[in-house]
Amino acid sequence: MALAKPASISFLKKRKSQTLSSPMPSAASYLSALSQADARARNHNNAGRSPTSTPALSLSSSITSSSEDTVLNEDDTIFDNSDGLALPARPPTSEQVFTTVHTEFGHCADQRYRLVSEHPSGTELPSHVDYDPPYYILLSTYVSYLILICLGHVRDFVGKRLNPSSYTHLIPKNGYAPLNSDFDSFYTRRLKTRLDECFSQPVTGVAGRTIVLLDRISPDYNHTQIFTGNRTRALNISSYNYLGFAQARGGCADAVEDSIRRYGISTCGTRLTGGSSDLHTISEALVANFVGMEDALISSMGFATNSTFIPALVGKGCLVISDELNHASIRFGVRLSGAHVRMFKHNDMKSLESLLREVISQGQPKHHRPWKKILVIVEGLYSMEGTLVNLPAVIELKKKYKFYLFVDEAHSIGALGPHGRGVADYFGINPRNIDMLMGTFTKSFGAAGGYIAGNKDLIDRLRVHGHSGAYAEAMTPAVLTQVVASMASIMGVAVPSMNPSSSTSTLRLTSATNSAPNNTACAIEEEYSHPGAAPPSSLPQWLTLPPALSSGIEGSNRLRRLAFNARYLHNGLNKLGFITYGHPASPIVPLLLFNPGKMNMFHRMMKDRQTPIVVVVVAYPATPLVTSRVRFCVSAAHTKEDVDTVLRACDEIGDVLDLKHGIKPSERWSVEQICERAVEVAEM
Amino acid sequence: MNATSTTIAPVLDFLAHTLTTAETAFNKLPGSAVIQRYVKSSHQNDPGRTILELILFIFAIRTLLQSRTRAEKNFIKFSDKEIDELVDEWTPEPLGQSLTPQEQADLAAVPIITGPNGPKPKLVSTGKTAINLASFNFTGLSGHEEIKERAVETLRKYGLGSCGPPGFYGTLDVHMELERDIADFLGTEAAILYSQGFSTISSVIPAFCKRGDIIVADRGVNFSIQKGIQISRSTVRWFDHNDLKSLEEVLESVEKERKKRRGPLTRRFIVTEGIFEKDGAMVDLPKLIDIKFKHKYRLILDESISFGTVGRTGRGLTELYNVPASKVDMLVGSVANALNSCGGFCAGSQIVVNHQRINGLSFVFSASMPALLSVAGSEGINILRNTPSILASLQENIQAARAILDRVDCITIPSHPASPIIHLYVKNSKSSLHPSTATTIVPSNKPSNPTSILPKDAASWDWDVQAEEKILQDVVDEALAQGVLITKAKRLRGQEMVDPRPSIRLALTSALTKKETEKAIGVVKNALVKVLSKRR
Ligand SMILES: Cc1ncc(COP(=O)(O)O)c(C=O)c1O
Repeated sequence: MALAKPASISFLKKRKSQTLSSPMPSAASYLSALSQADARARNHNNAGRSPTSTPALSLSSSITSSSEDTVLNEDDTIFDNSDGLALPARPPTSEQVFTTVHTEFGHCADQRYRLVSEHPSGTELPSHVDYDPPYYILLSTYVSYLILICLGHVRDFVGKRLNPSSYTHLIPKNGYAPLNSDFDSFYTRRLKTRLDECFSQPVTGVAGRTIVLLDRISPDYNHTQIFTGNRTRALNISSYNYLGFAQARGGCADAVEDSIRRYGISTCGTRLTGGSSDLHTISEALVANFVGMEDALISSMGFATNSTFIPALVGKGCLVISDELNHASIRFGVRLSGAHVRMFKHNDMKSLESLLREVISQGQPKHHRPWKKILVIVEGLYSMEGTLVNLPAVIELKKKYKFYLFVDEAHSIGALGPHGRGVADYFGINPRNIDMLMGTFTKSFGAAGGYIAGNKDLIDRLRVHGHSGAYAEAMTPAVLTQVVASMASIMGVAVPSMNPSSSTSTLRLTSATNSAPNNTACAIEEEYSHPGAAPPSSLPQWLTLPPALSSGIEGSNRLRRLAFNARYLHNGLNKLGFITYGHPASPIVPLLLFNPGKMNMFHRMMKDRQTPIVVVVVAYPATPLVTSRVRFCVSAAHTKEDVDTVLRACDEIGDVLDLKHGIKPSERWSVEQICERAVEVAEM
Repeated sequence: MNATSTTIAPVLDFLAHTLTTAETAFNKLPGSAVIQRYVKSSHQNDPGRTILELILFIFAIRTLLQSRTRAEKNFIKFSDKEIDELVDEWTPEPLGQSLTPQEQADLAAVPIITGPNGPKPKLVSTGKTAINLASFNFTGLSGHEEIKERAVETLRKYGLGSCGPPGFYGTLDVHMELERDIADFLGTEAAILYSQGFSTISSVIPAFCKRGDIIVADRGVNFSIQKGIQISRSTVRWFDHNDLKSLEEVLESVEKERKKRRGPLTRRFIVTEGIFEKDGAMVDLPKLIDIKFKHKYRLILDESISFGTVGRTGRGLTELYNVPASKVDMLVGSVANALNSCGGFCAGSQIVVNHQRINGLSFVFSASMPALLSVAGSEGINILRNTPSILASLQENIQAARAILDRVDCITIPSHPASPIIHLYVKNSKSSLHPSTATTIVPSNKPSNPTSILPKDAASWDWDVQAEEKILQDVVDEALAQGVLITKAKRLRGQEMVDPRPSIRLALTSALTKKETEKAIGVVKNALVKVLSKRR
């Protein structure tokens, strides 16, 4: 541990400037605690070698190295904890052995900070309460845009006359029309450019609990960005890493490494023309089990899952009813399909019902023939609003109006529900009530690509008629393995029963072998009951997960940590007096800024803190004009202290930027109160 | 004037009255005073004008409203009860029809590989290895140890997923490096990386081509381009497949049309492929570039197949023809095909690339590609750059294969002799001996209709898609029984703009030796002869 020495020195030096309220460990005490933990880990490890040890007690095989690794994972930068991100708030006690790298997946052993993501049965989904900001905020927001637009036009007007050379790409030249018309690019040139420092920030390393920014500066008002060569580690409350599976170490990464060595990088081609691997079959069967559908199909890109499979479901003479805030990929797919589209107001069931009554009674435009079919497309969790679809109400409507239901679970799969199986799980609804479940692996699973699940006939149809099967490259083995490993560790792997003819297991063709009848092997598969543990046969034979993962203990821990963090941040911000959107269970927490000028400020002030925090700010056109917002995405990788850090930062900046326009000041709590009574806040 | 004002005096009085009553409400609106003053003075000066303006105003509002509610023009009013009945009566079609037995059989015949894919993979169905002429492993990078090593290193530094779109902390340094590598390799200013090859060009096209713009495209473009064109809503004109003379004619007719309508100058694009996915034909790039400059069009060139497979080091058509890549405005390629990773790119000028960072739909709205796949792409380029022998042996294998296949009587080959994908058509029993007669048999000098994608000879197509698909599948099965894995080109029948002719698509690789290639192609030849002669 050559790193330890400079580490402790720099750590001591910087300690004086610490302003974090959480008790910071001294380096000496920390390192001694670590060495104790090491000894424990070694002991545990030795015990873990014996195959008969119970999974719950033995340790993952991935921790053969010292547990100092789980803290000091910096080999190219000098260890420095001045930002308070590298070391956990408290050194591990003698019972705790952490198997994750703290900067990737925070150490948090306190069982109080756990919650179950579940809809309280028998209650209605609370309708969204809109807090309107004071009028002067709205007015100033409008005025800001007005000024921006006027200034932009003035600059264009003057600039075109005084400095025509910088406008040449906007006017016809040599008989070529400009690529970008003056009018179309106005918003980008004159408004977005001002915000560019908030977007496309290049990073390096794992997008886990923390992320390393490649620092950049702009000498010319964001027209160019120059890298300074420095790096900054920041608390990452922006990535879609809901369950914290973005990790370079641990059971999943080990599995991926194994698969790269076995399978190589790619499966060379499309699914239908020589690019199908047994890993695809296995993963698809596991995904189907995970979401509780008969069969599933995997595609190498989440966006393409929507844009290439929706056209195979609907076409001319069909109607798609789409939530107005649906993702671009859904719109893309619907537009390609040639189906007629109508929109309803975001998550408004009344609007949906009246639209349904209208379209069914009117039939197709012009000739009033009845629609061939109607497909309602909603998202499980909306990525800009943090709202949950009112699934119980949609299912009720579905019974009455006989439409087909397509739910895009890109953000909700893994992130919601007591078992992590998405919105249906959250509401306790049988997923088979939904016709098509689509989701992506880019978010909760730390992988890439997407899936679509439904009944077997439909999925087989999509295999043949979806655009991806014939033309798009298949998902790569590394990604498939990450999907399988992370998914199996959320589900837990069932202990194989010794007696295959026992009542719990039946001999049947798995859905996987069905799709390839040539496959002579009839797997003996334990009956899977949703939402249960993954049948052992659903993993590739070569893949063994460390016991912490295969037992499902770690998975359930992650789910409950995420649920706690989400509610804690959401309710905490509300209690501080901010206006937030969305459902408290949602790991996406939008905080309203309104004024476009505050976006830059907020972003920069968060980044320039002693513990830098990176945030995502979004504005028009992704949101309505006035409701510019900052969007937090909490993760299971965050510790309670990390959420404290975010709350404190927001509290300070909120005062400076005048952002607290939510609940009445008398009902607000101080940030200290909130951090102290975190459990109470989360359960509110 | 006087006469009119007296006859309509009562109307004017009423109008004035309404105006004053509306005034109170109107006064409350900000800026109302200005409008009010204007209306008043205009009314006093010339009452006729007020009416005219009012009519105009109402008319404007009416047209505005109408355009919004056009769908409701023939809206039928129903009572709630009637609606309930209609809802009860309505029975939707099933969401998806089950597959036909033929489709099911085809799906069941799809090869599934167990373990790593490569030149000789093991199949799930037979449990045996087969020589692979189906998968895209042109440069033989599949299973390359160095790439694997680099990928594992990257995994240990970056994890797997990037967990965010490029705009929101999803841009990694390794993505920027691969973009740089591609741009340097090709010799363009910049490049942009998409996370799926197939979705690249269908986002690139609508990023630039908007409603009113003009796209002139080849009739044989691949499915992804077709979808991109469909999304763009631009005006499309089609030219005959790989026929640059037809292209010129179409360009001229477009220009004539524009002059006639005195339309404004809009963006104009030629969209075509380097080596066509559909049949392996290759475009004559230097001539295409000449035409593009002469007519002042921008060129969107899809090099998904040709990038990494032709040219001395695999830089694609631009290297093969020695044309600077910077002359192609948007050069689209795949990181999945020849580099054996995943994703796609568009290379071009800085302006072209930056434009896509905001407007490329599947770039903006999708997570960036996993770091290790990006590094695998970079490493692939590195290997191609330093090992020209890869491309040499690929081309050698292609030649060896063509030497055998070109002499097989019962098929026709539309592919270019250097194309790494070789399409095999069943030779039409009716059309006679020479392979190229299929198109020249109806010598029609009438140019095709550029507004329709249908080729002019479409009417004379006499192949039976069903029957040919079936025969070709028999060939595939026969070859597999002899230990060679090949595949039909899979098509989305019914969704393609023109239904391509059924074909077998061979994909050659540098990972096999010339001997092995010849042996495998020999097997294919025997299978073809055996199955096709039975048909006669
Ligand atoms: C609702 C929804 N669908 C699909 C996608 C696309 O997924 P991917 O990023 O995996 O391409 C996203 C991603 O942002 C999404 O939010």
